[in-house]
Amino acid sequence: MIDLINLTKDFGTTVAVNNLTLHVSPGEIYGFIGPNGAGKTTTIRMMAGIVEPSSGKIIIDGMDIKENPVAVKKIIGVVPDRPFLYEKLTGAEFLKFIADIYEVDAQSVRQRSDDLLRQFALWDWANEIIEAYSHGMKQRLIIAAALMHDPKILVVDEPMVGLDPSAVRMVKDIFKDLAAKNVAIFVSTHTLSIAEDLCDRIGVIHKGNLVAQGTMDELNSAAQTQKAKLEEVFLTLVHEA
Amino acid sequence: MFSAIGLIFWIGAFAIFFRVLNYFNSVEDFGDILAMKLLSMMVITFFALLLFSNIINGFSHLYLSRDLPLLHSLPVSSGDIFLSRWISSAFDSSWMVILFSMPVFLSYGIIYSAGAGFYLIAVCAIIILCAMAAGISSILVMLGAAILPAGKIRVFFVVMGVALAILLVLFLRMIRPEQLVNPETFASVVKYLNTMQALDSPFLPTTWITDTISFALKGRWKSTLFNLSLSASFAFTLFFINESVAGVLYFRGFSRAQTTAKRLFAPLTFRGRNWDSLLNFLNRPAKAFAVKELRSFFRDSTQWPQLFLICALIVIYLYNFSVLPLDKSPIKTIYLQNVFSFLNMGLAAFVLSAIAARFVFPAVSMESEAFWIILAAPVSIKTFLWIKFFLYYIPLLIISEILIIVSNILLDVTFFIMVLSIITMFCLVPAVIALAVGLGARYPDFKSENPALVATSFGGLLFMLCAFGLIAAVIILEAGPLYYAFMTHVLGRNLSFTQIFWLIISFSTAFIICAFAIFFPMRLGEKYLKKF
Repeated sequence: MIDLINLTKDFGTTVAVNNLTLHVSPGEIYGFIGPNGAGKTTTIRMMAGIVEPSSGKIIIDGMDIKENPVAVKKIIGVVPDRPFLYEKLTGAEFLKFIADIYEVDAQSVRQRSDDLLRQFALWDWANEIIEAYSHGMKQRLIIAAALMHDPKILVVDEPMVGLDPSAVRMVKDIFKDLAAKNVAIFVSTHTLSIAEDLCDRIGVIHKGNLVAQGTMDELNSAAQTQKAKLEEVFLTLVHEA
Repeated sequence: MFSAIGLIFWIGAFAIFFRVLNYFNSVEDFGDILAMKLLSMMVITFFALLLFSNIINGFSHLYLSRDLPLLHSLPVSSGDIFLSRWISSAFDSSWMVILFSMPVFLSYGIIYSAGAGFYLIAVCAIIILCAMAAGISSILVMLGAAILPAGKIRVFFVVMGVALAILLVLFLRMIRPEQLVNPETFASVVKYLNTMQALDSPFLPTTWITDTISFALKGRWKSTLFNLSLSASFAFTLFFINESVAGVLYFRGFSRAQTTAKRLFAPLTFRGRNWDSLLNFLNRPAKAFAVKELRSFFRDSTQWPQLFLICALIVIYLYNFSVLPLDKSPIKTIYLQNVFSFLNMGLAAFVLSAIAARFVFPAVSMESEAFWIILAAPVSIKTFLWIKFFLYYIPLLIISEILIIVSNILLDVTFFIMVLSIITMFCLVPAVIALAVGLGARYPDFKSENPALVATSFGGLLFMLCAFGLIAAVIILEAGPLYYAFMTHVLGRNLSFTQIFWLIISFSTAFIICAFAIFFPMRLGEKYLKKF
């Protein structure tokens, strides 16, 4: 479903992502972890079509994002690390805006929007302008918006920042449900316990390079640790790299 | 670039004032009175501008800036925060007025052969005028923030905008400039000047400043120092009043402004349908952008005062055409009417450029940090920019055509000129809008809190220069051959082959320039945003 092939992004002399190759299958939740400035957000921004790669390919559902950007974007849902939204719209209006941009079936927009607002506990705030929302509410709205068009792929950057414990549980459950419906989820996070709990496979990126990837067992083997928690594995891999 | 543009404006202002004052100087008896009246009007205008910009900036600096919560969390007294913010607000609001008052005073100094003392006094006087405006404005801002319900502080902007627009209309009507070109009423010019005396009350700070400068011009130093001291003492008094008021009201107002934002008006519906159903003829993404743009614009009350101001300016623009005493002019009326109509095209396009600079140029930047939504959406940058273009093109085309048609009707121009004006605006409007959208996309500022600041950025100035260049090129290309066509018509002759050829080449070139101005900047903006 997602294929990154020799993906590289440099900003002048700084190489943010270096020759990254990975694959995510349908229904898989792929965790992407790494220290600050490792290249996680840049990778996600390239996959979302926000930033152009310097070299390499991004193949989404068999389509090259460079050649078919609009078609690829139609099947991706993006949740950025910071919830910048149109602050003067209400939550309900924002979801309608997204539905229209993604040309979601006009008959089902209202129902879909109402369902998501209820699911993300935003129903009571649906007609308030986003400017009045708290950080956590904006984060919930942005996740709801990313699901508005039933994406085949969900690309998520730091999904749990600003969410309260019940919202974290809710988002985790939603991601698991989506994966069960064959949605491929690529999630970048610093919260290692969530990655460990949620993801089928995990990739560790450090200084733009993918230093290891696989299941928890495979990562333990790569780090030469015995049944260690992800935190220990991560620190070992990052220190070795 | 900024300095060069500023210098050109500065020299231009000096040239105009010097010429006007030189002319006044040559008029016996009335010359001095007119020069002093002009000075008084200038000081009042400066003061009005200072009050308005201080109020707008005051709100922003004292209550709305994003860094204020951090500042108030630091171990610094709110009095100190107020003082530092008040000074920065006063400086931001005043420096341009101080800079552009200099050519006015320089012109007066040269015409009246004033010594170095005059210039020193003039600089002190304008700085004191700025301090007085800043002092009065901040008291009003603090009172406004304390009185209005929390969360609706921005309503104050609207009130101020409407008040300013009404004041501006009243002020311009009080001056009645058309009386000066009407020979029948010229005998009562003294009466006319007397009606303006109401603006020179001895209790107004502007009168003290005007008197300071005018007495300094004439070397009456005692009166100069008296008025300067009066102004300075008032400015100092305002400073201490501000300190006291801030001690009581500033933090309370700031605290009130921290509550959640609310919508000012309920959604507009008719028989259960929203107003956005009026846009159903658009495709879904285009309609979504249009609705989002309109909602965001009308819910941002900081935009409203400038909208009111533009409406007021358009009304004044049209009103002035209605009162032009063309029939009393010694020059042949039909000729003058058509010359005015031609100038009117340039002026209307200039008004359009000003509106585009303020509202269209920042349109891409106003996506602000939510621009990622556009980049991640299944809509190409090209489509996004063209949607923006059409969103502004349609209303501004309607405004421009109304402006040109109504003013031409008021001028009673010939049918040919009317048609030419309509077609010219039809070509110029999309070119100016595309320039604004395209250059706005090429020079975006997604981090700006204020669209007005985006308009004054390098890209904004570049847009204004390009727009003026475009308008000038089109008007010049049309004016030359048209003058000959008009004269041959008046003289009852036929156009020669060369003149017809010139006419066709000129009009075709104007059309090509407009087409180039539509597509080139849009492509430039698209290329830049794709690589963003």
